[in-house]
Amino acid sequence: MNTLTLNNYTLIIMTDDKQVVLERILQVTRYRGFLINGMTAKVNTGNNIATIELFVSSERPISFLTDQINKLVDIKSVKVDNT
Amino acid sequence: MTNSKPLTGGGLLFKVLEQHGVNHVFGYPGGAIMPIYDALYDSDVQHFLCRHEQGAAFSAVGYARASGKVGVCMATSGPGATNLITGLADAFADSIPIVAITGQVPTASMGSDAFQEIDIFGLSLACTKHSFQVSHVDELEKILHQAFEIALEGRQGPVLIDIPKDVQMASIEQTFKAAAHLKNKVKLPLADISKALDLLNHAKQPILYVGGGVGMANAIEEVRAFAEKTGIPSVSTLKGLGAIDANDKNYLGMLGMHGTKAANLAVHECDLLIAVGARFDDRVTGKLDQFAPDAKVIHFDIDTAEINKRREADAPILGDLKENLPLLTMSLDIENWQAKIQKMKADFIWRYDHPGEQIFAPAVLKEVSTLMPKNTCVTTDVGQHQMWAAQHMSFDEPSNFLTSGSMGTMGFGLPAAIGAQISRPHDTVIVVSGDGSIMMNVQELATIKRYQIPVKIVLIDNAKLGMVRQWQDLFFEGRLCETDLADNPDFIMLATAFDIKAKVITKKSEVTAAINEMLDHDGAYLLQVKIDAKDNVWPLVPPNSANNEMMESA
Repeated sequence: MNTLTLNNYTLIIMTDDKQVVLERILQVTRYRGFLINGMTAKVNTGNNIATIELFVSSERPISFLTDQINKLVDIKSVKVDNT
Repeated sequence: MTNSKPLTGGGLLFKVLEQHGVNHVFGYPGGAIMPIYDALYDSDVQHFLCRHEQGAAFSAVGYARASGKVGVCMATSGPGATNLITGLADAFADSIPIVAITGQVPTASMGSDAFQEIDIFGLSLACTKHSFQVSHVDELEKILHQAFEIALEGRQGPVLIDIPKDVQMASIEQTFKAAAHLKNKVKLPLADISKALDLLNHAKQPILYVGGGVGMANAIEEVRAFAEKTGIPSVSTLKGLGAIDANDKNYLGMLGMHGTKAANLAVHECDLLIAVGARFDDRVTGKLDQFAPDAKVIHFDIDTAEINKRREADAPILGDLKENLPLLTMSLDIENWQAKIQKMKADFIWRYDHPGEQIFAPAVLKEVSTLMPKNTCVTTDVGQHQMWAAQHMSFDEPSNFLTSGSMGTMGFGLPAAIGAQISRPHDTVIVVSGDGSIMMNVQELATIKRYQIPVKIVLIDNAKLGMVRQWQDLFFEGRLCETDLADNPDFIMLATAFDIKAKVITKKSEVTAAINEMLDHDGAYLLQVKIDAKDNVWPLVPPNSANNEMMESA
């Protein structure tokens, strides 16, 4: 059985409110080996920027995921919330 | 083009393609892309009708890799679009800039399980760098420009644009902008090279590990200058082949699973590994925790996500290799290491003596490589013949050796060669294929016939799925399962059916004359080379082993 420790992380992702951006983030998250424990998402209709909070867990370092999400074309920023 | 017809979405597509210097596209028509094909009728862009959309995608990949330009392919909705997927995945895995255009059912029908409707936009997420679905014709021009920029910017890759049929047909209301150009480039921070300089100054046994990124960064000159000035011995990945001159005295050849023993031992012993445009792929590293176990790592890459992904870098240098590598160029005092490298090279030279009359594939490919004209572009399929080509042929630059590296896609070679030949009509193009692989996109022989494309096909025939057979023999107790192809078609008759001149050889004594005949022939040619089905690719790093544990025979 898997004895490795799962670490929990909270990501705060700012993105242009574009087609399928949420699907892209979720696809990358699953493919890179992170479990999604929850999320919130809202769009600022004034500037069309979406803010997505993603709660994930994995035995892998979070940089594996943030580096990949950062590569998605519509992403403005990805931060790991350590608070 | 006359002004009698108003500009439609389809017409706009070809205008923008022409703006980006696209003269050739590869595709296959169908219901949901008919307005685009109607616009093609009035366009100066030359379309090549492939015989399967996967062939169109791989021809676009071959075109891009041989020419350094963006390759373009197009297909209709549903099965046309899904047939592109393998080519997109291949381009994504090998970072090749292509733009794929798919027709989609009309906007009003989308989401209704319409005839030939599939969510190709959704399917593209895992196998493209980026994708678009055009919801209104007013967006089309901007999206097309963005697609080309994204395909070429940073780490290159494939972009898909899904265009509903009504958008293709819609008239353009806005004025067409003659030279719209968007800049979307990621700004990278200035590279910090101080740590790397320190590591390099203290290294006694450094190795330069050259990957496919070198050719794509257009940094061959810089990498060769670095290798020459520093005197650092170099090794290459499959995709990096050609970046270093094969005759360079400090070059050890390919590393990894089927690399040279000298390259693998040198990497195993090095104290500093300088990775340029390479990503520590599993076929390169073998058992990861025993790869270059004593080495510090300087890692040059354009893609942040490759840094520390599989191997921690002591000095990561993110950005354009062409600009950054010269900053590190210096003279080094590593004569003892260079002498050791020369000894390793001398200890492990390739041997071409082979008992009996039957043809030895490595010797054939070595001879093709010697006899082929300068600047010949070689494509391969996937399997034993691919590894033999990588081991025994030499290339002046990476754009002269097109092989499916990361995805390892059988069926790549023939359509990629068609694309390469169309992009470089004055160069010789040779496909090295196997009797298993050739059948994966054999329908493209019809494309060769249709356009009289003079590619030369060297078909290494052991009537087996040879690489799988080799593994079954070595690692599955000889339990040969579904790898026998004794009932292959008559390849000579097959080639002849497509007006391709063909010849079969079975004996060593026939090799030289046959290669010369093939190279001298003006049109397409298939040379079937029958070899001993028991021949294996050597040397070999067995699965889950370190690279210094290479097998040299069974």
